[in-house]
Amino acid sequence: MNPPAPPLIETRSLSKTYLVGDVRVAALADVTLAVPEGSFLAVTGASGSGKSTLLNLLGGLDTPSAGTIEVGGALVSAMDREALARYRRFAAGMIFQSFNLVAARTALENVELPLIFAGVNRTERKRRAAELLGKVGLAHRANHRPPELSGGEQQRVAVARALANGPRLLLADEPTGNLDSRTSREIVGLLAGLNRERNLTIIMVSHEEGLVREFAREIVRLQDGRIVAAESPA
Amino acid sequence: MRFADAVEFALGSLRKRRLRTFLTASGVMIGIGALVSMISFGKGMQKNVTDAFKASDLLSTLVVMPGGAEPPAGDPDRQRPRAKVPARPDVVLDDQAVAAIAKIPGVLRAYPDISFPAMVGYEGAEELRLIQVVPAAVAASRSMKITWGRAYASDEEAGVVVSRSLLRRMGTSDPASAVGKTIRITSVSVDLGRLATLDLGSILSGTASPLAQESYDFPILGVTDVAPFGGEANLTESGVLIPPGPAGRIKRLPITSIWDLFRMKGGRLGYSAVTVKLGSLGDLGAVRSKVHDMGYATFALADQFDEITRAFYVMDMVLAAVGMIAIIVAALGIVNTMVMSILERFREIGIMKAVGAGDRDIRRIFFFESGAIGFAGGAAGCVLGWVTSLVINRVVNFYLARQGMPFVNYFAFPFWIFLGAVGFSLLVSLVSGIYPARRASRVDPVVALRHD
Repeated sequence: MNPPAPPLIETRSLSKTYLVGDVRVAALADVTLAVPEGSFLAVTGASGSGKSTLLNLLGGLDTPSAGTIEVGGALVSAMDREALARYRRFAAGMIFQSFNLVAARTALENVELPLIFAGVNRTERKRRAAELLGKVGLAHRANHRPPELSGGEQQRVAVARALANGPRLLLADEPTGNLDSRTSREIVGLLAGLNRERNLTIIMVSHEEGLVREFAREIVRLQDGRIVAAESPA
Repeated sequence: MRFADAVEFALGSLRKRRLRTFLTASGVMIGIGALVSMISFGKGMQKNVTDAFKASDLLSTLVVMPGGAEPPAGDPDRQRPRAKVPARPDVVLDDQAVAAIAKIPGVLRAYPDISFPAMVGYEGAEELRLIQVVPAAVAASRSMKITWGRAYASDEEAGVVVSRSLLRRMGTSDPASAVGKTIRITSVSVDLGRLATLDLGSILSGTASPLAQESYDFPILGVTDVAPFGGEANLTESGVLIPPGPAGRIKRLPITSIWDLFRMKGGRLGYSAVTVKLGSLGDLGAVRSKVHDMGYATFALADQFDEITRAFYVMDMVLAAVGMIAIIVAALGIVNTMVMSILERFREIGIMKAVGAGDRDIRRIFFFESGAIGFAGGAAGCVLGWVTSLVINRVVNFYLARQGMPFVNYFAFPFWIFLGAVGFSLLVSLVSGIYPARRASRVDPVVALRHD
């Protein structure tokens, strides 16, 4: 058996509290987690349990109220705004339940976005974006805008966009929430394939127990902002 | 993010909101158009005055004046401003002095200002004028602008040059037709024979006068056109120029106005002023200090010209300030449009941040958008201002031409006006973009992505 891989992600006593009026609400409390590189981790829990908050913190979209996040040896929780933007650009790709594609841009142009912010020149980024769209099976839809694409196709575009700058980590926030069950299975299958083939670390928030049990290798259950259970179904 | 990409982003989102972009840029266009036409009007006026000064040779002219009693303020016979360096009260400005001044290096010529009041008669009309005695060399110089006929050939030729405006006042609309016709000059002089027959009492009480009138006929040799500021000798005032020779044969009083009597020193009157033509404006200082050393006061239009230039500077500032009001309104329009744009693109900004756009990238995109509005509005404003000025110029000249005024360009467009206007518009739009761009860059992606 191989020695256990060093953790890509480590959180220590991670907390996030929001101020709602005068009341402090703890969205996440004292979450300590280690995710080895190449994992496919599913985070489950009821709505309001803190799943999305955890993902936003790991993705560098939000900053913790307390505790630390370390990704690939870099202390994400201590980064300033510009460093966080770079982290999102290069280190952590994200996909969302509502796809979050820019409606006015074609599939190809959406995939180009992270490359534009990375300063990649036009020819090179067109080439890379087209290649990524091919990988997710959408080469023939490259010049269509999101409203012309099906939900599954839109999420594939989002996956291609998340991978544009070659991150080691992909964060998926309820990626199948707006999809039918067949398409949902296809999308999670696509993620699992990327996890296997590229050793891409995937953290997926989902409450679809069936899909989670079928594809994820580790499952963490959150309740009221705390980890209440961790298991490895495989 | 590359510069070209940021520009493309900005133009892309402006294209998407065509109507609003057009309206906002129109605001800038009107503001810049107003500013451009205001400033070009100021510059046009300045150019007209400057050109007129240069064309009339007035700048290289120095007027030398003797000391002594000055006429009271408001006296119409004496409109010349007071000299800066006062003259010595004891020196007289006579022929000797004129000859001495003419010898100063840098002086082209010096001639006394001699004028006398006379009744001018032409084709039945009569008008009281000051007749100006001007040497042939001066009358023939380019500053006189003799448009019809010619100047007198020598100081002795019996003939006069009259101004077009005088002819118009006397009922002649075609100046060319006046050339060759006769003008009658009637002057007043002391009749010595009559003086001998009158008793002092009746002269002093005003019941009898020793004065007599005598008339002289001269052919009109030439007619001068309306020069905006007169010529070397102030033609718009006198209207009749006569060479020294024939002028000397006209019997007349030795004074132009009663005030001249108070200037007399030891029975000598001298000239009230001597006009000095300089070879170049650069000689002004040296010639002037020599003349001051001789004890005379001087007046140079070049001094006035500096003041006029300063006045135009103030006028430019006032016009620009009026134009600025429109610019400020346009700038507020840009701010409004850009802030609206943030609200509309709230989610898009969140998406861009989620996929790795930094604060600086977002700032840049918004900055370039407002810059593009300013640039387009500024360029269009230049065209608008230019076209507006052309139209106004046509209309004003159309009406003035009916009153016999020559065509004048009231607007000037030096190249820098356009460059400056576009640059200024760009600057204003970028400043207007600072707040929206900052605000866009501070959008919290978590909030924006939750937003529908």
